[in-house]
Amino acid sequence: MGRVTITIDGHPIEVEEGSFVLTATRQLGIDIPTLCHFPYMQPYAACRLCVVEARDGKGWSKIVTACNYPAWEGLIIRTDSDRVLDGRRLNLEMLMSRCARLPVLEELAAQLGIDKPRWGYGEDTCVLCGLCVRVCDEIVGAHAICFTNRGIFREVSTPFNLDSDSCILCGACAMVCPTGHIQMEEVVRPEIGHPDLQLGPNAAISVPTRQAVPNVPRINPDYCIHFKTGGCGICSSVCEKDAINYEDEDAFDEIEVGSVVLATGFKGFDARRIAPYGYGRYPNVYTSLEIEQMINASSPTGGQIVLRDGFVPKSIGIIHCVGSRDEHTNRYCSRVCCMYSLKLAHLVKERTGGEVFNFYIDMRTPGKGYEEFYDKLLKEGVHFIRGRAAEVTEWAMTPEEEGRLVIRAEDTLIGTVRRIPVDMVILSVGLEPQADAEEVGRLFNISCSKEGWFLERHPKLAPVSTFTDGIFLAGACQGPKDIPDSVAQGGAAAAEALVLADRGYVELEPITAYIDEDTCSGCKTCVAMCPFSAISFKVETGKSETNEALCKGCGTCVAACPSGAAQQHLFTDEEIYEEIEGVLTYV
Amino acid sequence: MTPARLASPEALSQLRAQLTRRRREGEKIVSVCAGTGCLACGCEDVLTTLRAEIAKAGLEDEVEIKVTGCPGPCEWGPLMTIYPEKIFYVKVAPRDVDLIVDKTLKHGEIVERLVYKDPVTGQRYAHEDKIPFFTKQMRLLIGNNNLIDPTSIHDYIALGGYQALAKALTQMEPEGIIAEIKKSGLRGRGGGGYPTGRKWASCRNTEGDPKYVICNADEGDPGAFMDRSLLEGNPHSVIEGMIIGACAIGSHDGFVYVRNEYPLAEKNLGIAVAAAREYGLLGKNILGSGFDFDIRISRGGGAFVCGESTALMASLEGRVGEPRAKYVHTVEAGLWDKPSNLNNVETWANVPLIIERGADWYAKIGTEKSKGTKVFALTGKVNNTGLVEVPMGIPLREILYDIGGGVRGGKRFKAVQTGGPSGGTLTVSDGNGSGNGDAVSHLDLPVDFDELSRVGSMMGSGGMIVMDEDACMVDVARYFLNFLQEESCGKCVPCREGIRLMLEILNRITRGEGRVEDIDLLEQMSQVIIDTSLCQLGGSAPNPVLSTLRYFRDEYLAHIEDHRCPAGVCSDLVSHAITEACNGCHLCVQSCPSTAITGSPKELHAIKQIECIQCGACYQVCKNGAVKRVKRGEGEAVQSRARVAWQPREKAQPAVTA
Repeated sequence: MGRVTITIDGHPIEVEEGSFVLTATRQLGIDIPTLCHFPYMQPYAACRLCVVEARDGKGWSKIVTACNYPAWEGLIIRTDSDRVLDGRRLNLEMLMSRCARLPVLEELAAQLGIDKPRWGYGEDTCVLCGLCVRVCDEIVGAHAICFTNRGIFREVSTPFNLDSDSCILCGACAMVCPTGHIQMEEVVRPEIGHPDLQLGPNAAISVPTRQAVPNVPRINPDYCIHFKTGGCGICSSVCEKDAINYEDEDAFDEIEVGSVVLATGFKGFDARRIAPYGYGRYPNVYTSLEIEQMINASSPTGGQIVLRDGFVPKSIGIIHCVGSRDEHTNRYCSRVCCMYSLKLAHLVKERTGGEVFNFYIDMRTPGKGYEEFYDKLLKEGVHFIRGRAAEVTEWAMTPEEEGRLVIRAEDTLIGTVRRIPVDMVILSVGLEPQADAEEVGRLFNISCSKEGWFLERHPKLAPVSTFTDGIFLAGACQGPKDIPDSVAQGGAAAAEALVLADRGYVELEPITAYIDEDTCSGCKTCVAMCPFSAISFKVETGKSETNEALCKGCGTCVAACPSGAAQQHLFTDEEIYEEIEGVLTYV
Repeated sequence: MTPARLASPEALSQLRAQLTRRRREGEKIVSVCAGTGCLACGCEDVLTTLRAEIAKAGLEDEVEIKVTGCPGPCEWGPLMTIYPEKIFYVKVAPRDVDLIVDKTLKHGEIVERLVYKDPVTGQRYAHEDKIPFFTKQMRLLIGNNNLIDPTSIHDYIALGGYQALAKALTQMEPEGIIAEIKKSGLRGRGGGGYPTGRKWASCRNTEGDPKYVICNADEGDPGAFMDRSLLEGNPHSVIEGMIIGACAIGSHDGFVYVRNEYPLAEKNLGIAVAAAREYGLLGKNILGSGFDFDIRISRGGGAFVCGESTALMASLEGRVGEPRAKYVHTVEAGLWDKPSNLNNVETWANVPLIIERGADWYAKIGTEKSKGTKVFALTGKVNNTGLVEVPMGIPLREILYDIGGGVRGGKRFKAVQTGGPSGGTLTVSDGNGSGNGDAVSHLDLPVDFDELSRVGSMMGSGGMIVMDEDACMVDVARYFLNFLQEESCGKCVPCREGIRLMLEILNRITRGEGRVEDIDLLEQMSQVIIDTSLCQLGGSAPNPVLSTLRYFRDEYLAHIEDHRCPAGVCSDLVSHAITEACNGCHLCVQSCPSTAITGSPKELHAIKQIECIQCGACYQVCKNGAVKRVKRGEGEAVQSRARVAWQPREKAQPAVTA
């Protein structure tokens, strides 16, 4: 098909032959109302609002629908002749007479100068545009809804009006519905949850986390319509770079490296473990991370701090040291909670204008500008109550507490137990090692502290190195750390790794073990004994072999070898005997 | 005879010769119509009795019984024709059969009682070829219906069937066939009147494979049954036409889409297709020509809109029968987006005639732009109803008077509705004052495609409903709109909502609640619906309103301004009253469903106005014309006057029309 020139309201435009007139009018910025048109679906031409007058310039003229009328050379289109406008107006008016007052129709009516339908309004909220049916059919491919009956009894329904198994709950129909006639029934409440740091229902295409590297979207096959029905594919039709690849799969890549920086981070404390605080039981008890999400401008609440029912809280309690400095959970201080609680207190007060109460054991604010920030908050009128909160309860004792959450805590400064009624409770959860820290440690041959943080080689002299050469630590995997500390340690770890890379070789201690092939019987005792996995068994020769780069010269294999094949440089039996004899010479 | 594949045109000719040789000279054949109409009248009982009686009389060897299709006048059924004399009996009952066998078959006498009697002149016509209803017609297509047993391919072949196919396959090139059809001037009989040859040519010239030919047998117009009688009575003519068309277009697959309500047509067509296949007239290598073609039959689901070509194709594909825009023609992208050529049953049946007898012969019939004959289903208030086949361009008067025998019951003609529900209404005042301005009358209108369109109606598929003075034109428009509202698929706004709202307005008018601006609104809506509807169902839906508005505007005005229904049909606008013409026969009392009529026998009767439901039953039964339809609310006044004027009578007087 070639290019043809058509004239729309006097403006010539060159378009693909057979392409639809509506596309051309939109290119020219001429507004034609439509109800049943959707760019990624076949034109349907049911609403008849996009009617235009087609002429050939020789006297022939016909009213056609722009959404599906193909362009041909010399075609002349009038989009605003009286005949066109009469048709458009009356069709809209007739459609309005079927429907209740629908915003989408009222808006079009205002554009076309219709006050109200001469026959009065109807009751239906469906305009029978067929978008839902077609999206389900053409794009989703689920074929779960269809038109039933005919004529004035036509309606959108599932086959036989029954709940359809074919429906994949994708919500595409509700999304395209211009009137809101189709609503998704809330089967699952969109919870604000920590996993993936996503609020609300997940889209099928998303960037995994906001700071993801590489920061590109990925398709979640659990939500993607294409993976469910083979249909849709809208993302690939809109992607100008052809970057959508449905065939791509998760894969394991093996990369050979000289050194590894472990930066596996921390796990937030699970607030459910402290039952008296009511997390998971009371809907308006949140963790600090959830509030952190909510406060983000791109959150479902648009950065507003709201309760589950959508109201803005008037008073907020922040409980510090949840899962830190506690005999029952973690004895250590998580180091960051005081400061982030202060930050949240500031933001929450700013956004809600409510009263904010902090329940703290000690206020720990070492660091540049931290104490000053604390002072500022004190002046802002944020309340600080020194004392660990005992519990959060709904049990009201006074009318004021009715229907609210009550935080019970001992105020150690005034020496009394206080009950503070609040609308929202924020738990400042502490930092814990990742659940699989032990496992990762074993993988890299490094050890963990009793709490589960990775152990550095030396707390003062080698804080980023580990006992395994080439393995470095960065950030909170080594212990609770705030962002500046983590960044600093990350830099140090990277520098350490670069030193190795820049030098190009590794300096080894000379005291390594070796296996004498002649005497090795291939019993493999040493292989299992080696704590550094430095010995491997060679099937071809039937003997064991040490990797001198990994060997730390501990001598375990030497002691264990039944045949005496395992020997250590500088510590062979002969050398030891000679040394003993040498010493004894002077006796 | 064992069925044998006909391997060549010569084999076909031999078979034909063989079949005609077997016909003895003067052999008696009793043909009984078993079309749907006669079946409903009880022709099966007649046939059973006939077989038994013939066996009893020992005439099995001399008389052949032929069960045929419909010759047209269904109202007279069951019909029986006795050949070679062509004695034509109507309304034959099983009890008449022994008389027929005894008198006619044995002794050649005519049973006067069963002979057709002209309702106007009272003259009796014993022979088929003398009856004016038949003689005034030109029965090219349906003429063979009562000669052929539709389940027997032999009957069709014996009458020269498939000769046109043999000619087309062996002596003509596809282009030649198309040229011949073009030259004949044949236009689509489905209603649009698109030149068939041109359609074939564009389908042939479109790139694409496979190509399909489709026969549209979804005849949905109320009262129309031309296609049904062709499929039931002479299915091979349609099949032959389709094969020729397929050969011309270059198609190897054909479909016949039969409407759901035509079980007999589907059955007979199925038998015919199977027989044609058996004889090598369908399938591979037809008549040894190397051309392959086969036909599949598909039954509709009962939707009027599936008569529209794109909806029909959607339905054939197994989708919901809804039309789509035809900006890309179906000859380019039709069934499964392949080039598809769709023609109506009657169009296909015309094809063998043209090929066999030549385009020149065919083009001599009809008018300049409308060639050939057209079958109409003549119904309504004429004396002779049924299928009539007439040459194009015949004046409406000839159809109504010469063939139809004039209006029934001495009333006056008022209007003729042609073209089915989306057609228009013509005024046929016969000059005696039909209650309408006599300025326009279409009685002498030559009936062809263009003339009908010119006066605001259309040919349609050939329905022709005759109305007399008792018809209210607003009510007629309302009836057709109601039909269309029920049959609209509901896809596009103007058709779905527009028809509903126009109907709402008409309902309002017939209730006497019409407003002066309603007529303008109706006209405005009609224009928009015609302009913007997706398919021709909507595009022609306002025709009944527009054409009645054009020719019977005063009736609308009477409803709106005077709250009066001139024909006395709209029950909200009429009162029934009994005048002094009442002779006290009491019939009306017996017929009244709401016991609203009082009066003793031989006394003046009266209608209790408050209880009358305006059903009109008394009006229908009164033989004296004493029941009058008057303007709503005037009934009591009329009856009061009657009470003053009424005189008791010595004895009941014979029927006197007021």
